[in-house]
Amino acid sequence: MNRRSFSTCFLLILYLISLHHHLLSASQFEGFDASEDDDVSDDSSDLHHSLPPPTITQSLPDPQPSSHDSTSDQSHPEPPQYSDPSSTTPFDFWDEDEFEGLPVEEIEAIDSPPTPENATETVDPETPQDTTAPSEKKKKSYAIEIGCVCFLIALGINYIVGKRENESLALAWAAKFASKDTIFHKNFSLLGVGDGVESPLLLKEALNVFKFYASGRRYCHGLLATMELKSRHDLISRVFNLVVPCKDEITVEVYMNEEAMDHVVFAMAKKKAAKTMQKEVKDLQRFAGIVSPPAGRKWVSEELNVISESKEVAGDLITDTVLDQVFGDKAMEKYGKNFMSMHISDQHPGKHRKMMLFKFSLPDAKHMDDIVRLVALIPYYIDLVGRYRLSSQARNKTETGRQKAAEEAYKELQNARQEALQKKKAERKKLMEEAEAKLSAEVIRKKEVKERARQVKKAMPKIKMSRGH
Amino acid sequence: MSHSHGNTPSANDPRQPSAAKPYTPRPIAPEDLPVDYSGFIAVILGVSGVMFRYKICSWLALIFCAQSLANMRNLETDLKQISMAMMFAIMGLVTNYLGPNRPATKK
Repeated sequence: MNRRSFSTCFLLILYLISLHHHLLSASQFEGFDASEDDDVSDDSSDLHHSLPPPTITQSLPDPQPSSHDSTSDQSHPEPPQYSDPSSTTPFDFWDEDEFEGLPVEEIEAIDSPPTPENATETVDPETPQDTTAPSEKKKKSYAIEIGCVCFLIALGINYIVGKRENESLALAWAAKFASKDTIFHKNFSLLGVGDGVESPLLLKEALNVFKFYASGRRYCHGLLATMELKSRHDLISRVFNLVVPCKDEITVEVYMNEEAMDHVVFAMAKKKAAKTMQKEVKDLQRFAGIVSPPAGRKWVSEELNVISESKEVAGDLITDTVLDQVFGDKAMEKYGKNFMSMHISDQHPGKHRKMMLFKFSLPDAKHMDDIVRLVALIPYYIDLVGRYRLSSQARNKTETGRQKAAEEAYKELQNARQEALQKKKAERKKLMEEAEAKLSAEVIRKKEVKERARQVKKAMPKIKMSRGH
Repeated sequence: MSHSHGNTPSANDPRQPSAAKPYTPRPIAPEDLPVDYSGFIAVILGVSGVMFRYKICSWLALIFCAQSLANMRNLETDLKQISMAMMFAIMGLVTNYLGPNRPATKK
């Protein structure tokens, strides 16, 4: 009895050891942890037969178990099951050459001929087959690529369309104001950016920047109109412009002759723009201030603010003609919608001191007539400012102001020069000190010896030597 | 078309052919040109796409390259940055799609 119980106990221990060894060998497969294997049932018959026969196919290198699986793994540590159609094994990687530990019936199952086509497969009704998974996975994996390629195509199409739109807008402006028998043609003898007769009217500086040049007119050197259009060719900018809207703008710079223009600093703009101009533009900041509307006289629309050096200049430059045509209350609603600002100054910072600057927003190509009156202001103001002369009283005022400004500028220049000199001196000193520091100790010692010798020589009494005859 | 009028100016005519001066474009220093942000972003995304093997970064780098190319003003200065960004973007795409796969993470 005792012996029998011992033998059964021994057999049981052997069985447990063999089972444990088998489980350890199973944990060597990738995708399994030894910790997971501890809970596998002790029934050895289940161990082999519960595994379905593996098909000899290469499994996907990076199978991604769903989040649902990963959460269930934590609560029930079981070997993970993949819905990978290519591999029916529960292993992450199946090696075709690895047949160790396979039961005989499984090898036979692999070697057995495939079932005929007409044979119906026995499908377990409880486990529905996941047929949609591979197509979904493919769609998911190529979503980024499809999206990016589509976006690149959209960029290309938008580039072509936007470029064409901008060009047509610029050409519409040129056709309206710079072609034969138009306003610029009647006012300037040279139109276009080239030297020759057949040179282009517009210069394309960028896909959204076009320039037009005109010259050969009294009172001015020339005129340069710069059209800064929306970046229609750029899809990202176009989307950004939907959020933060901006307008197509045209800036007209008129370079006045030195002798033609008197001391004039004057600007007019919409109220917000006028305030920023007065703060930011140097000459307006220094010489001009916002002018209050005069009593008993027609004045500009309430939307606008006038900045001027003196009331006299403002009154002389805002004529009744201008008020009736553009800047009056009634005319502003109809014709002045696209007006942004104008700036006339003889103290312009830059190469050309005497300059007039007009800024308008551009309508679309079909509505170019909307800015006809605004463009007509340009030659009107060239003549008006060219002929304009200040009264002696106002002139004295402006001259003193300009003298002060010139003195300040000169002082600033002097200060800058002095600062530059001081910097140079400091740098030289630094260099000298560095050079001295670099000298070796021996050289310094030699210098000191020489210096001492010189000092001793100086200290010695001077003895006159006389030759004895 | 450039138009030059040879007709003699009358008292009313404001035109003065003798005063006409041809257009001389102002030389713009490369420092004065607007900063090419899209090119800069493209370079950064391209480098990160190559280094960290992110497909999305390489694709975005390619998109920003296209934007930078569309907004290019100065051929000499901008082309260097754009070509570098393009190189990184293409290199990133090649390594991501044709290069070896990432090693699988063991459970």
